[in-house]
Amino acid sequence: MSSVPEIAIIGYAQSPSWRAAELTEPQFLFPVISEAIERAGIERRDIGFTCAGSCDYLSGQTFAFVMNLEAVGAWPPISESHVEMDGAWALYEAWVRLQHGDIDIALAFGSGKSSPGRPAEIYPLQMDPYTLTPLGADPVSIAALQARAMIDAGKITEREMAEIAARSRANATDNPYAQVTGDFDVDKLLAEDYYTAPLRVHDLPPISDGGCALVIASATKAKEVCEHPVWIRGIDHRIEVHQPGMRDLTESQSTRIAGEHAGVGDAKVDVAELCASFSHQEKILATELGLADDVEINPSGGALAANPMMAVGLARIAEAARAIAERGKHRAVAHATSGQALQQNLVCVLEGD
Amino acid sequence: MTAADSSTAGGGASGRGPGTPDRSERVDGMEYFMHLEYHELLCPVVRRYAEALVEGRLIGHKCPRCGLVYAPPRGYCPIDVIETTDADEVTLADRGVVTNFTVVTPVQYYGQEETEPFAKVSIQLDEPGGSLSLQDVIDCPVDDVRVGMRVEAVWARKGKRDTSEITNRSWGSAEGAIRGWKPTGEPDLPADQFLQAAF
Repeated sequence: MSSVPEIAIIGYAQSPSWRAAELTEPQFLFPVISEAIERAGIERRDIGFTCAGSCDYLSGQTFAFVMNLEAVGAWPPISESHVEMDGAWALYEAWVRLQHGDIDIALAFGSGKSSPGRPAEIYPLQMDPYTLTPLGADPVSIAALQARAMIDAGKITEREMAEIAARSRANATDNPYAQVTGDFDVDKLLAEDYYTAPLRVHDLPPISDGGCALVIASATKAKEVCEHPVWIRGIDHRIEVHQPGMRDLTESQSTRIAGEHAGVGDAKVDVAELCASFSHQEKILATELGLADDVEINPSGGALAANPMMAVGLARIAEAARAIAERGKHRAVAHATSGQALQQNLVCVLEGD
Repeated sequence: MTAADSSTAGGGASGRGPGTPDRSERVDGMEYFMHLEYHELLCPVVRRYAEALVEGRLIGHKCPRCGLVYAPPRGYCPIDVIETTDADEVTLADRGVVTNFTVVTPVQYYGQEETEPFAKVSIQLDEPGGSLSLQDVIDCPVDDVRVGMRVEAVWARKGKRDTSEITNRSWGSAEGAIRGWKPTGEPDLPADQFLQAAF
C-alpha cells in the first residue's frame, strides 16, 4: 500500500446505540455529522466528497438514503455518493475518491434503524431468492449453523463463546455509545437456554438504531488541521460466494486476504476492533487476521454491545481511531463485515504518528 | 397458495404449493409474495404535528435563518443545516394553491386498491407558507385539476380525526385528519408563477 497517497482520519463521531430510537435517521445523524466535522477542525464547505452507507430495506422506505443527506447539508449542491452497505464501505469509497488528489477532505457516514422492522424477516431477502429466502434463512439461523460447524470442528466451545460475550459486555461498560453492558458470570450465561442452538442470547448482537461519521483528509490537509491525525495505513475488502453452503463457514478467507493486503501482519498490533456480530465470529476473525494473544480485542464492546446496522462496521473504525487518538495506542486493526456469516469483509489498519 | 394466504405468512411464504416436480418442465420463473411490516415510533416533532392535526391545526417549523417553512416540522433546516425547535413552530394556513400534480392511473398489481384515475397534488399554503405534497383533491374531477387552482382543506369532523397513518416518512401527509382539498372557487393564480416550485 506504500505507493498510494497517505490518508488520515481527522474527525469521528457516533450516536448512542438505541434499541428503538425515537428520532428519525436524519435527526440523529444531524449532531453526529456536526460533531465529526467540528472535531476535524474544518468547515462543512471544506468537504469535497461525501459518501453514505444505509439500507432502504431497514427503513422500509424507498430512497430513504436521500433523506439522510439532509443531515449533511446538500445545498448548494455537493458531490456525494451512497452505498447500500455498511458505512465502512462508504469510507472505502471516500478513501478511493481522495486518491485522485483533486480534493483533500471527504466525509463518510453510516446509519440504520433496525427497530421499525423485523430483522428475521428482512434479512432473508438478501439471500438466494430461490433456495434460501423462502426458507426464511435469517442471520441468527445462519450464524447458528456457523457456530455449530465451529464446535464440531473443535475450533471453539460454548464456554469460549460465553467468555467472548462476557468480555464484550464488560468492555462496553466504559463505552457511552453501547447498548448491552455490565459484568456477567460465564457460568450463569451458560446456564441460560439456547435461543437458536448452539447460540444463546448472549451470543447474539442487540437490535440497534444508530449512526457513525468519519472525516478523512489527505496528508497535507490532515497535518494542517489536525494535531494528531490517525493514519489509514492500509484498507482492503474481499467478498466470497453468496451461497453460504459453498464455503467453509469455520474460516474466512476473505478476511485473511483483506488483512494481508491491508498489512495487518507488517508490525505489532495493539488494538483490534472486530465486527463480530455473533460471539464465535470473533475467534474466526482473530485467527484469520493472525492477531497475537496480547492484542486488545474490542475494547468498545464491539457489535455484541451495540449493533446499529450499516454503521456498526464504520463504528469499529471510529473506535480503533479513538483508541489511537484518545487512549495512546499506536497501531490498530478495524474490521467490518457484510452479507451473511462473514461473507464480505473489510480490514483497515490505522496508526498514530 | 393464494396471494391472500401468503401475505399472512410473515414474509417466509413461497408462491407455488408443493407437488411432484416434472423434471421435463422448463422453469421460467417463480412467484414470491413478500410481506414486511414496519412499526415506527413517531419522532417528537411529528408527534406534535399529529396532535395538532387532531385539534384541527396544521403546524410547521420556520427556519430562523432562511425563513423556509417545513410541514410537517423536521427538527432541522436542511438548507442552513441548523436544528429547529418548538420555538420555531408556526401555525399554518389550511388554504393554498396547487403548484403541481400527478394523475395516477392505477394498474391492478397485487395490493392496489384504487381502480379509477386519481390526482395527487402539491399545495403551497398561504402565509406563513409551507407546502404539502401528495394531497388528495375532492369535489373536483381529475381533468379539472390544474396548477394555480386555489384550494382549502376539508377536515374530518372533530372526534373523527385519526392520525394513525401519519408516519415520520410522510411528506406532509395529513391523512385521517384532512380528508382532502377542494377548490375554493376563487380565481386561479397564474400557473407560471409556480414553475420554480420544488414540488
